[in-house]
Amino acid sequence: MARYGMVIDETKCVGCHACRVACQNLNGLAEKEAYNHLEEREYGAFPNFSREFLPVQCQHCDNPPCVKVCPTRASVKLKNGVVLVEKSKCIGCKYCIAACPYNVRIIKKAGYIEKCRFCIDFIEKGEKPACMTTCMTGVRMFGDLDDPNSEISQYIIKHRLKQFKAELNTKPRIYYKKA
Amino acid sequence: MENIKITRRGFLKTAVAGAGAFSLTSGLLDFQKWVHASAGAAVTSVPTICNGCGNRCGIFAHVKNGRLWKIEGNPDANGNLGVICPKGHGYLHDLYNPNRLKGPLKRVGDKFEPISWEEAYKEIAQKMNLILLANGPQSIFWVNYPQTNHAYALRLMHALGSPHYFTHGSTCFTARNAGWATTVGELPSNDLSHSRYILIVGRNPAGGIDLGQVKRIAEAKEKGAKLVVVDPRHSETAILADEWLPIKPGTDLAFLLGMINVFVKEGLYDGRFVREKTVGFEQLEEEIVNYPPEWAEKVCEIPARTIVQIAREMAKAKPKALIHRGYHGAFGSQYLNSFQTARALAIANSLLGNINREGGIYFPQSAQLGELQPDHPAPDLPEMGKADGTGVPGRYPLGSYGDGIAHAIPELALRGELKAGFVYHNNPLRTNPNPKRVIAGYKKLDLLVVIDTVLSETASIAHYVLPESFYLERTEAIDTKHSGKRAQVSLQQQAVKPLFDTRPGTQIIIELAKHLGVGKYFNFDIEEANRLRLRSLGVTLENLKKKGVLFVGEKWKEGCGKLNTPSGKVEIHSSTLEKLDFPSIPRWEEPLVSPDPKDPQSFRLLHGKQAIHTHAMTANQPYLMAISQRYDMIRLWMNRERGVRLGLKDGDWVQIKSMVGEGKIRVRLTGGIHPSCVWLPSGYGIFSKHLKTAFDMGLSYNDFLPTYFDPTVGHAMSSEIVVQVTKA
Repeated sequence: MARYGMVIDETKCVGCHACRVACQNLNGLAEKEAYNHLEEREYGAFPNFSREFLPVQCQHCDNPPCVKVCPTRASVKLKNGVVLVEKSKCIGCKYCIAACPYNVRIIKKAGYIEKCRFCIDFIEKGEKPACMTTCMTGVRMFGDLDDPNSEISQYIIKHRLKQFKAELNTKPRIYYKKA
Repeated sequence: MENIKITRRGFLKTAVAGAGAFSLTSGLLDFQKWVHASAGAAVTSVPTICNGCGNRCGIFAHVKNGRLWKIEGNPDANGNLGVICPKGHGYLHDLYNPNRLKGPLKRVGDKFEPISWEEAYKEIAQKMNLILLANGPQSIFWVNYPQTNHAYALRLMHALGSPHYFTHGSTCFTARNAGWATTVGELPSNDLSHSRYILIVGRNPAGGIDLGQVKRIAEAKEKGAKLVVVDPRHSETAILADEWLPIKPGTDLAFLLGMINVFVKEGLYDGRFVREKTVGFEQLEEEIVNYPPEWAEKVCEIPARTIVQIAREMAKAKPKALIHRGYHGAFGSQYLNSFQTARALAIANSLLGNINREGGIYFPQSAQLGELQPDHPAPDLPEMGKADGTGVPGRYPLGSYGDGIAHAIPELALRGELKAGFVYHNNPLRTNPNPKRVIAGYKKLDLLVVIDTVLSETASIAHYVLPESFYLERTEAIDTKHSGKRAQVSLQQQAVKPLFDTRPGTQIIIELAKHLGVGKYFNFDIEEANRLRLRSLGVTLENLKKKGVLFVGEKWKEGCGKLNTPSGKVEIHSSTLEKLDFPSIPRWEEPLVSPDPKDPQSFRLLHGKQAIHTHAMTANQPYLMAISQRYDMIRLWMNRERGVRLGLKDGDWVQIKSMVGEGKIRVRLTGGIHPSCVWLPSGYGIFSKHLKTAFDMGLSYNDFLPTYFDPTVGHAMSSEIVVQVTKA
């Protein structure tokens, strides 16, 4: 069985936010609800200046703090690597929001918690995540991390990619390419 | 989810069934209700083109339960290659925006009252005909941000005998176009994906978003190309660049002259190309000695050694090296020297021998749509010239007759030369310089008819407002926008039925023509017109409806033949300019105004696009405005050190004042901008109270820009603004 993961090449992100709105549309989110966000960072001073955008979404951790703290087992880790919230079980206690170090969970109007689902319903029909397919610079790569020959696995090895906040031992399934 | 591509007829059946099962007025507008109800519903996919900006990207509109769900990019479309920007995704929600116009309106005193289409047409025709009788056909105008149907708007003006068809061009790109046309005969394109060295001066395709270009730049960079961005601000394109060169605004011409100096002095140019394909190189050699890189450094503040280095690197990569043809920034319509900057940029490219070469500057293949004749004869061209002076010696001789000088309309109205006008898909009250003057001019008109989807600032002062169907609700004229290495035709077609009492733009033009007594030139509908215009291209309308975008004609071939200039060659020296008494070889020209370097409050005001907004059109879109607010993007960029000197902290409120306007806004202090300028994102400053999401958010650079006309093409010189900035 495939166990999914993603690569985000932050050197390619120009901060256009297409991924945010593509995701909102696909998932039927309201205008202020978003499953991904950008963190803008500035380096240096004029004229030796640069800036970058860091795209952040649920990291689908293999050691997910959100799952551990959930009192109703609404947050679950699936065998395919994806972390999901079962909204029928969610009581909206927000423990998971407090536990997640990536600030990627939102409270839906109906009271339950949601977040990036890796577009899993669409992946299973052979499609790619909406944040990936809309991107003009090709920031994201998606695939099977369990297959050592997959394009994404090879890419991670070749570029020795690391995870975001790996020191927290959350074991994210998203790897970042930095400048 | 199923992606079913179906015929239009089949689709309409589905849409009607969907509408029946789901009440149009309540259900479709209630988003959450729809999300719930439509889970698992069948999906139809309609190929069409996006209207979120002027790029008109190829898309598939996905409809679920009669409501627009999402759009996906059409991979065949040359302009977007299968991807979509945030504006495209966000703008589709405007279909359901509660601020939309729901039927025709007529002004009665200070208020609007509903009116039927038939009554509106009758009253407009009556008033227009009286104005035509009393003042002649030259007293009326049409202005639009060109849509696919612009040819029919032009036809209507010609049928009525008026030369006054305008686009937004004079506030956007006319200096760039004229600079290129004078030098190589037409506006070319950039072969970015095959280039090994890309230099971009002022243009920001990742912000003033051009998906195809950015995708091709990313592709070139994957293959090892170098990208250098010259921009006073660390633009979104600069994020992708190997080098960002923060130039002093208004001095791009000096930078280019410095580079040309190095090309010539060090013999780095393509000698054979210069010998065989250009005229005036000797005169250039004489003039260019005045502009060594050390001189350029003093003017533009890019180090001389960097200028030399870039010139040498580009020469090494030539002919697969290019300087981006540009758009609005730096030399589209910004400065007094913009026309000559465009000339210098075209000449620098020519010296690299990259004209119509792979990896260089090339002339795109363009589909020549057929005419409606002989079935439907065209009206004669009006005999009188344009009152704005485009193309008239002694006025704006290099101005584009096809675009006109739209920001002259208020002046002509105030002088009584224009009495009545149609504004279509355009909002001059917000997008033209010096709004007080624009409002006074447009209010002076005896008749103002606005065709729009919302009550924009301009629509708010109209005598009649005719509501256009949203782009996803209407089938429109075929388009040739996606031309590149091979020409393309594309079609905007209806994905959902109109929600309100609105009509497609072309239908409104045709119906206006019939009521105005020139119906004999409009005895067709859009279906027939599209069919006739495709006739000579060897593709059928049926196939275009299925695919949305089709390739037509021959593939592009490398090589520089006879150019569309008087000499047939690249005109380094221009005899046209010599005759008109403009510099026939580019030479340094100062900007019109400059901030006082000794005054800590004095700045040049620049502006530019963010990827999430199109002019003033999308600010009112809640999905896009939510991004502006979440990321605090409605701020004025200011150099951090200069801000600190004014006692400012990041996020503080400041007062901006110019000779024509003032306003308050918060600052973003950053190291990513040249100290001599501040930068405003464009698209904000909405003052129509009918646009509830965007009302009173931010400022527009137009609030501070006096009404200017540059002497070559009459452009707006929209970065010739000095402002005083103080802590509020």
